[in-house]
Amino acid sequence: MSEKVYDLSQLEELAGGSQEFVMSMVDTFLEHTPSQLEELKSAFSSGDLSAMGGVAHKIKPNIDLFGVHSLKEEIRLVESLGKEGVNSPDLPSTINKINDVLQLAFQQLTAHKNG
Amino acid sequence: MDILKVFVVDDNELYAKMSMHHLSLNPDNEVESFKSGKECLDALYKNPDLIFLDYSLPGMSGIEILRKIKATHKEIPVVIVSGQEDVSTAVNLLKEGAYDYIVKDENAKERMWNATNHIRENARLRNELDKLREEVNLKYDFSNIKGNSPSIKKVFKLIEKAALTNITVSITGETGTGKELVAKAIHYNSKFRKKPLVAVNIAAIPHDLLESELFGHEKGAFTGAVNKRIGKFEEANGGTVFLDEIGEMDLQLQAKLLRVLQEKEVTRIGSNQAIKINARVIVATHRTLSEEVKAGRFREDLYYRLLGLPIELPPLRDRENDIVLLTKFFLDEFVKDNKMPKVQISPEAQKKIRSYHWPGNVRELKAVIELAAVLAEDNLIQESDINYNSTNSLENLMMEEMSLKDYTAQIISHFLNKYDQNVVKVAKKLDIGKSTIYRMIKNDEITI
Repeated sequence: MSEKVYDLSQLEELAGGSQEFVMSMVDTFLEHTPSQLEELKSAFSSGDLSAMGGVAHKIKPNIDLFGVHSLKEEIRLVESLGKEGVNSPDLPSTINKINDVLQLAFQQLTAHKNG
Repeated sequence: MDILKVFVVDDNELYAKMSMHHLSLNPDNEVESFKSGKECLDALYKNPDLIFLDYSLPGMSGIEILRKIKATHKEIPVVIVSGQEDVSTAVNLLKEGAYDYIVKDENAKERMWNATNHIRENARLRNELDKLREEVNLKYDFSNIKGNSPSIKKVFKLIEKAALTNITVSITGETGTGKELVAKAIHYNSKFRKKPLVAVNIAAIPHDLLESELFGHEKGAFTGAVNKRIGKFEEANGGTVFLDEIGEMDLQLQAKLLRVLQEKEVTRIGSNQAIKINARVIVATHRTLSEEVKAGRFREDLYYRLLGLPIELPPLRDRENDIVLLTKFFLDEFVKDNKMPKVQISPEAQKKIRSYHWPGNVRELKAVIELAAVLAEDNLIQESDINYNSTNSLENLMMEEMSLKDYTAQIISHFLNKYDQNVVKVAKKLDIGKSTIYRMIKNDEITI
């Protein structure tokens, strides 16, 4: 299995030792983030930059909270490009990276939950 | 105030969950979460003590929700939680009445925690303040004005009516009839009672300071204005301003006061910015204002503006049996406050108290009774313990309403005593015949 793309240390600290809370947060993350990711991609492909920025704004705290450090810059870039309405040539690759890393995170977190 | 009811409004389930978990670590926090502004607004009837509001919610913008909350629940502190730091938005939100602005970063949970503790402390202090205010209210409820006479009962009725509305009240009455007590009774029984009652005695403040005392001034507005000062009207905002001795205000300031009352706003001296005020006004005077108007010493327009509900306090001598009732009341209070044994009043002393005309009214009665209680031997107040120190003894003499013959006799006796019973000297002083005096002595009209 590839290297973990998430880091639960911040969550665990917040949980104050309650593994149950961490697990319920993982559930919530897995429940909502995948659909948000789909929204992000469809907003991007339909060229609705402002909607894309809005979804990125919502995904951002999830990425921070689950310690997906490799997307920290990327999600902020997408958020601000969306907000400013700038269609940068960097966007397609950034969206792709967000998709790839998050998909991996979903797999790994599901495995973590079941294992 | 043990449980703090906290609302968390966030459409991001993760954040909502995390905030709830974190805040619930303190068992005294009761946390509820909402996904949208509408859900939160619908639940406001639960009267939360604190609301954490996410700035970017679907449907309504954060500022809109904030305004809606503040419109109906002004006192609930709202802490804005936002995904990004934006100073100008933050400043705007704080201006709109937000309690704090927290950015969702690694310090967010700590700041939320601190905000909760601050609010808890605030709520505790506010509760304590409310309790203390209630106690003060009790102190100034109607029972503090004593009396059973029809004339004072009429006053009670008017106080009740005045307390129900925000009408301006003008209290008149001789000195010592209890004008300030009536103002307090009105304030502490009105809807303004949670805000301060600010009393200003117009006669006690030098004329040239009065304007800044009432309306405030800006720093540097005049020589000596070293600091900004908030005026009494601003201080009382939402409460009551009590202007005692309003008849002593000079004409120039009367014009300014009229303007303030009409526009419902004050402008501090040296400022050009008007500040809205919402204070009930009660005025009092021992003068007859309508006569002051006729004499040109009081503005007619201000007179009508201030008249509102006039309450005229009856002088003590017109309050029949209230003199007896008040005498007992003041006596009981005095011995209780001084941990003295109970003091009685002899029938002669009672008669002396009842027949006096009390130019200083209730205030004078209180002073006389307290002095008598101190002078009394064997816990009994005798006639000789009742001492009047009224400033106007001629008026006192007139109040006795004797016949002219009796008055004459009294006057002659007074001068005979003064001049060692020297009839010749007294006759000369009073410009009457010696024989008149001798005749009166002979007829036992005067005793020497």
